[in-house]
Amino acid sequence: MLSIDERWDLIDKISKKTVKFGKYKHTLKDAVGELTVKPLTGIPVAVAVLYGFWSVFSSFAGFCTDGFLVKIFDGYWLPWLQNIFPGGLHNWLYNLMVDAGHIENGVLVPSDNCFEAFGVLTSGLFVPFGVVLPAVFIFYLMMTLLEDIGYLPRLAVLIDTVLHKIGLHGYAIVPTILGFGCNVPAVTATRILETKKQRFMMMTLLGIFIPCGAQLGIMEEVIPDTMGFVILYLLFGYFVFGFILNKIIPGKSPEILIDIPPYQRPTIHNVRKKVWIRVSGFLKVAVPFVILGCLIVGVMYITGFMDWLANALSPLLTNWFGVPKETVGPLVAAFMRKDLAVAQLSAIEMTKYQMITSVVLVSIYFPCLATFIMILKEGGKELLGSLAALVASVFIFGGLIHLIWILLGVA
Amino acid sequence: MKILLMGHPNVGKSVFFNRLTGSNVIESNYPGTTVDYTKGYMVLENRDIEVIDVPGTFSLEPKDKAEEVAVKMLEEEKDAIVVCVIDASKIERGLYLTLEIIEKGYPVIIALNMWDVAKDKNIEIDVKNLEKILEVPVIPTVAISGEGIKEVVSRIKEAKPVKIKNIIKNVGG
Amino acid sequence: MDKKLSEMRYGEEGVVKSIEGDLRNKVAGMGIRVGKKIKMITKQPIKGPVVVLVDEYRTSLGLGIADKIIIEVRK
Repeated sequence: MLSIDERWDLIDKISKKTVKFGKYKHTLKDAVGELTVKPLTGIPVAVAVLYGFWSVFSSFAGFCTDGFLVKIFDGYWLPWLQNIFPGGLHNWLYNLMVDAGHIENGVLVPSDNCFEAFGVLTSGLFVPFGVVLPAVFIFYLMMTLLEDIGYLPRLAVLIDTVLHKIGLHGYAIVPTILGFGCNVPAVTATRILETKKQRFMMMTLLGIFIPCGAQLGIMEEVIPDTMGFVILYLLFGYFVFGFILNKIIPGKSPEILIDIPPYQRPTIHNVRKKVWIRVSGFLKVAVPFVILGCLIVGVMYITGFMDWLANALSPLLTNWFGVPKETVGPLVAAFMRKDLAVAQLSAIEMTKYQMITSVVLVSIYFPCLATFIMILKEGGKELLGSLAALVASVFIFGGLIHLIWILLGVA
Repeated sequence: MKILLMGHPNVGKSVFFNRLTGSNVIESNYPGTTVDYTKGYMVLENRDIEVIDVPGTFSLEPKDKAEEVAVKMLEEEKDAIVVCVIDASKIERGLYLTLEIIEKGYPVIIALNMWDVAKDKNIEIDVKNLEKILEVPVIPTVAISGEGIKEVVSRIKEAKPVKIKNIIKNVGG
Repeated sequence: MDKKLSEMRYGEEGVVKSIEGDLRNKVAGMGIRVGKKIKMITKQPIKGPVVVLVDEYRTSLGLGIADKIIIEVRK
């Protein structure tokens, strides 16, 4: 084995004999490459890129879901199933598969949309395919483009200034953005970070504070007005808890050391393949869990267990968090899928502020089962610490939001 | 026998991989971002040979977990042939990783990828001489257009381990 | 004149004079080594990372890492 210097000496010799470097002319691409990493020009560009990302995401997802899929599912699919499926509102199989119905003025009435029906064949299909799929598709398409063009390292350098202050690394932006799509690949992507401490912090923050694409898609659909607040709270939590975790977790937070490649033109073949793998991977995880979630929640309602749980937890929910006790259903569903839980929340009567609190609660109280399994696989034992952080943050954060509402006089 | 594709991040390695393997590709888990690896098969002399797209790394001294994975994969496949995919316009840095792999005793074949970019930058590389010095096949390629890929495939069998002493001798004083 | 990489100003050029300890291993694969020409491209505000040009490669280093690399600046 050669030493570093011997190896480089050898390369210099080889290079002298075989390579001629002509005059290098700086191109427009180089200039743009530098401008997008210099703070004065790079930060506005980064803000614009992220804002553009966001607006394309929300308009595309809204267009597909509201424009087409809601009409198809609510106008044709649900009424058709309600017609042809044997049984009726008082049959348990019908409740599980098609429509659980809801109580209006003391009478059990059928649902008129797929958010509320909560059957395996209605909400169970509508949530993943009708609402989440368009959101996830457009998200991964844009993420892949940013990645293949070579923008991400520049974003990492710009954001490192902030992220390093909370013990992370500029590249933590990659799992963070991925987490807005789905936490499962995001947890995998934490490998880009150097130390155990950084990976552990990242996983904890991902599991608690980053709402996934499924959730965003649903929020965009059912609570568009309050969505901004929810995200603001979550990002606030991300930095505050990052700061605290950085102080209490032992270990090193090494500094950034990355290559900044020139911009490249993405190839259609590569983009298509990556997006396909990511979207299909997402569906494989999401669909079974949504359906399982519908089943479990349905069974809990039918057996009366949910009412019992709601009453048991009622003091905690109403006094500490300030939300109606009915939110216990969504909280159970959130263990399976966040999107399902938010959809279910939208069917409960409550004020705008209670809605914000409960959506935040659903987001942070536990990573969805798929993420949980992923974290277990990647992080192992340290998960226990992560869970402790989780429980603490749910209580403090949920109560804090309630307190803010009380102070503002709206709770 | 397995074939490992190794190189820096962002040298067009995954496009190169797609060219080699065609459609029968197995993704292991999510490809995350450059951290997971892809496996596929290529036909070589009527045999199906496994090809692994190793995560990009700058050297065999890992800086993060992704590079650690790359180094581990190399160590696990003791009898693999390594195709080093180098950015021809940054040949020196690519040779650093290549030499490290050669020093570990792996048979190596070098693909000078992004050959078109190097030409645009007025970089001239004497491929014949480079082959003579390194004693391994060196092939200019442009993975995006497919140029040179066939030659890489046909010359994989020429890859062989080289003693670093020979390279030092070949390059002279 | 010698100064730390972290102290170089925008656009300033120099030659790498020394790199501290085990950092040499880490940066060697990225093309940064003693005797190489290096140019400061940009520094991020509030103690953020720096971006340098070595040969035609752009590399970003945290300020603490840049502290461990000594550059001979040419005037």
